[in-house]
Amino acid sequence: MTELMQVYLNALGAFLPGPPITNDEAESYLGMIHGVPSRHRASVQKRNGVKTRYYALGPDRQPRYSNAEMAVLAIQDALKRSEVSVGDLEFMAAATTQGDLLVPGHASAIHGMLGAPPLELANFQSVCAGGMMAIKSAYLQVRAGENENGVACASEFSSRWFQNEKYEPALSDNEEDGAPIDMEFLRWTLSDGAGAAILESRPNQQGISLRIDWIDLRSYANLFETCMYAGSRSNADASVKPWSHYTDPSAAAQDAAMLLKQDFEQLYRMFPTWIAHYVGLVERGKIVVGEIDYFLAHYSAKSLRERMVRLLQKTGCMIPEEKWFTNLYTKGNTGSASIYIMLEELMNGGTLEPGQKILCFVPESGRSIVSFALLTVVDGKECP
Amino acid sequence: MTVQNRPRKPGGHGDDGGAALVQSVLRQLYMTWADFESRLTQVPIIDKLYRGKFRMEDYHLVLLNHRQQVIEGGRWIALAASSISHDFADLRTIFLNHAVAEHRDYRMLEADFIKAGGTRDQIQRYGKNLGAEALSAWMFHRAAQPNPFDLLGAMYIIEGLGKRFADEFAQRIQSQLGLSDEHLTFYRYHAGADEDHLDELVEVLASGILDIPGMPDTITKTARVTGRLYLLQLEEVGNH
Repeated sequence: MTELMQVYLNALGAFLPGPPITNDEAESYLGMIHGVPSRHRASVQKRNGVKTRYYALGPDRQPRYSNAEMAVLAIQDALKRSEVSVGDLEFMAAATTQGDLLVPGHASAIHGMLGAPPLELANFQSVCAGGMMAIKSAYLQVRAGENENGVACASEFSSRWFQNEKYEPALSDNEEDGAPIDMEFLRWTLSDGAGAAILESRPNQQGISLRIDWIDLRSYANLFETCMYAGSRSNADASVKPWSHYTDPSAAAQDAAMLLKQDFEQLYRMFPTWIAHYVGLVERGKIVVGEIDYFLAHYSAKSLRERMVRLLQKTGCMIPEEKWFTNLYTKGNTGSASIYIMLEELMNGGTLEPGQKILCFVPESGRSIVSFALLTVVDGKECP
Repeated sequence: MTVQNRPRKPGGHGDDGGAALVQSVLRQLYMTWADFESRLTQVPIIDKLYRGKFRMEDYHLVLLNHRQQVIEGGRWIALAASSISHDFADLRTIFLNHAVAEHRDYRMLEADFIKAGGTRDQIQRYGKNLGAEALSAWMFHRAAQPNPFDLLGAMYIIEGLGKRFADEFAQRIQSQLGLSDEHLTFYRYHAGADEDHLDELVEVLASGILDIPGMPDTITKTARVTGRLYLLQLEEVGNH
């Protein structure tokens, strides 16, 4: 059996479309549902803490990029910082929540545009954890020696689903009340962007690399119903009817089946399972809390309830808040792309030093997935 | 998830071994709790409540079946207190106080049943269901062992129900059945009174009991078995 290779994240890239959009500007990009200002916008924005985000829609509300184009731009950004050229790429894994086309896969669209040679391809359609699935896929490819390098990327173009016209067919009878919170929460939470990472079986010759120590991902869909979903009117088990079971897509749209929705009750029920998963990693010695220099969480420390913080403290699992690193508040919540966009800012920010440990945490409420990755900063010159 | 087959390498950042061991036990207890809680909502009677399809008969059934549990709770804690040697007299005080605090709680539950339309005779004649027989036998078996501090694991699970679950449970029952607080005094009381005993648990775990050979693992094992049998008695409601 071939020896397993050490794998490194050698370059990170990001693409955020257009200018940063403030909280008050957001509605002019997404539009007012039936011409009425959203009654949930301000409270949701306050709750998620995002101050600025990016939309791939222009001020004229027309798309300026496709989802796949944003992924390509992020990969090109990563390649600019990489000792690998586009022509050297051997593998690509791409993730998104909702691609541009229903068929074929999003990864094919990206490969088609990238100008890379024929390469091995993997396509992931999940929610936030999809980005981590893509990294893990590339990691295992390189680790197994199947390919010497690979690019993992994730991109989101959520805002096109948040335009007022997408809501209006389902809400025509209810315009005075506007959209209910479960339909509008994600509208004021998610935004657009893309990220990419180049992985290799050797570290960079110049500068730092991030060695992948492990990636851990678990689905708990066996325990929970869908929580963040689009494609059905309701997530209640008995009434799940996929949009494709309607007579035509407009009938599904009229029944609110196409909208991205969040079931908060399910979400709160998932927290203990996620925390227990993390606590288990500490208990098994995979995470040594005192060794972590940066905790990149696709989640806010401020959202942790007091009881959870106490529990984490008493169990020796709390990573001090000063070690939490996020750019969710300025770059928006870009779903599967967020972890790349955070890693990009951290790696290219010039503050990392060899030996530092970075713990990445990406939960997905879709139907409950939790994922972690542990990275160690290395200097290529000092690697064997 | 389960916590079985745990490799013996506690993590955390405790400097001294004692604190690290306490943290390790707490981590395993929390993992056991989370596993228990996620399975709890899949038990048919609880699932029904979460689906919004609870009937008054279901509330009656819950009270009828829960009563035995509550009666036995006060008794096995008292037995456990008797099994604690004088070396741990301070802990025996805690167990005794606990037994005193809880041993008459079942009367509250009986009163709720009657207010909700049941009769005293009905609830007092109702025996343990098959799962409750197993749970009760297990609790008394453990409580009769010398220094049965592994029961802290059982208490972590059972009291966890009070502090993390009872409030939501009561709210759902009230809203689905249109009941008022006075029909749910037992669950309301436990939701309000069962404060977070985490500090107390840390203190007890740090008192030296973890030096008893095998105790850290036994605490977790007892928590896991208790959680499983608790689910069993919920699965068997009505089967007595």
